[in-house]
Amino acid sequence: MSATAHGHVDRSDEFLERAFRELLIERGVLTQAEVDARVELMYAREGAAFGQRVVARAWIDDAFRTRLLGDASSAVRELGIEIGALKLVVVENTPQIHNLIVCTLCSCYPRMLLGMAPDWYKSVGYRSRAVREPRALLAEFGLVLDPKRTLRVHDSTADMRYLVLPLRPAGTDGWAEAALALLVTRDSMIGVAEVVAPA
Amino acid sequence: MTPRFAPGTHVRVAEGEPSGHVRTPYYIRGRHGIVERVCGAFRNPEELAYGRRDGPPVPLYRVRFVQSDVWPDYGGRPGDTLDVELYEHWLEEVTP
Amino acid sequence: MRNHDVGGTHQDEAIPREQHAFMPWELRTDALLWILSDGSRAGGPQMTVDELRRGIEDMPAEDYRNLGYFSKWLRSMIAITTERGLISSSELERRAAAIAEEEAREHAREHHSE
Repeated sequence: MSATAHGHVDRSDEFLERAFRELLIERGVLTQAEVDARVELMYAREGAAFGQRVVARAWIDDAFRTRLLGDASSAVRELGIEIGALKLVVVENTPQIHNLIVCTLCSCYPRMLLGMAPDWYKSVGYRSRAVREPRALLAEFGLVLDPKRTLRVHDSTADMRYLVLPLRPAGTDGWAEAALALLVTRDSMIGVAEVVAPA
Repeated sequence: MTPRFAPGTHVRVAEGEPSGHVRTPYYIRGRHGIVERVCGAFRNPEELAYGRRDGPPVPLYRVRFVQSDVWPDYGGRPGDTLDVELYEHWLEEVTP
Repeated sequence: MRNHDVGGTHQDEAIPREQHAFMPWELRTDALLWILSDGSRAGGPQMTVDELRRGIEDMPAEDYRNLGYFSKWLRSMIAITTERGLISSSELERRAAAIAEEEAREHAREHHSE
């Protein structure tokens, strides 16, 4: 949908979607109930809550963290998070290393854990610049990387999906897992931000 | 299908500009990197994109490249890297 | 063919930071994508995500740049479904036109009653 010069909204995509869906239903390819159920599920699972839980658990449970870095899909399923056929790779930020995720060819994204991808992630600007001038890009996002830290960029060109395990912020010793989870942001799990504890 | 390359193998990405669907970004073709891990074997997207689902699975690798090897004008730090997932038929082993 | 292969090629492009609210038709488009490419359905998926990506990559460059994300996926699903012969583009066009007409009549009725 877009607004034209006269303020009329262009609804052609909306009409096209409905026409397409109606024809598919009439052909018996799918049902309206299936579409509605899927949309409901997307609403219910929207957001980065599952990703937050994975990170918080990794912060407090070192054995889990090791399993997560070895076989992320299995480790995530341990938490009861249903990820279907997702092949997940978790990359860990350390004091020496910072990670950044991109999909230059389309916009592959671990939706099961982070919800719908933000518009900026899908943009040609992000996809082009994240591989070639990532430090400048991070600075635009407000993250100035220490020159002594190594930056690893991951272009998810095939079947794997990536999640960054951000550094646990200072000043959170003894925090409950649930409280830690709430600190974790979607952007920190893509790699354009770090997690900070409230002052 | 047994993967040809173990982690640590030095590999070079094929040049070539096939006209169909490929998942090897243009920027990485001809570049030299090191296999970081074997991701498993998956059906070839170049075939799947045209409805051909019967082909054998192809080993997929995560290959790590030094950024300054990929971009002549790379403005970051010397140790910065770029990991890309690449299918076996796009890779050949090279001497380090 | 290389519209989509943008790693390192658009360095002057700004990164838009505004997030648009997802429209219901976009979420339904996403749902259709999921259902059509769902490998766990009886009889296998109607199409694979690889075909859908190919459908997007084959678009004219102008369309690739100007159409929104969900608009591109919708058009690719339509292209692949038409390619398969499941629907025809003429019947889709007729149906979309009929829907547009129906919506216009509804709109006119609402205005008349004000």
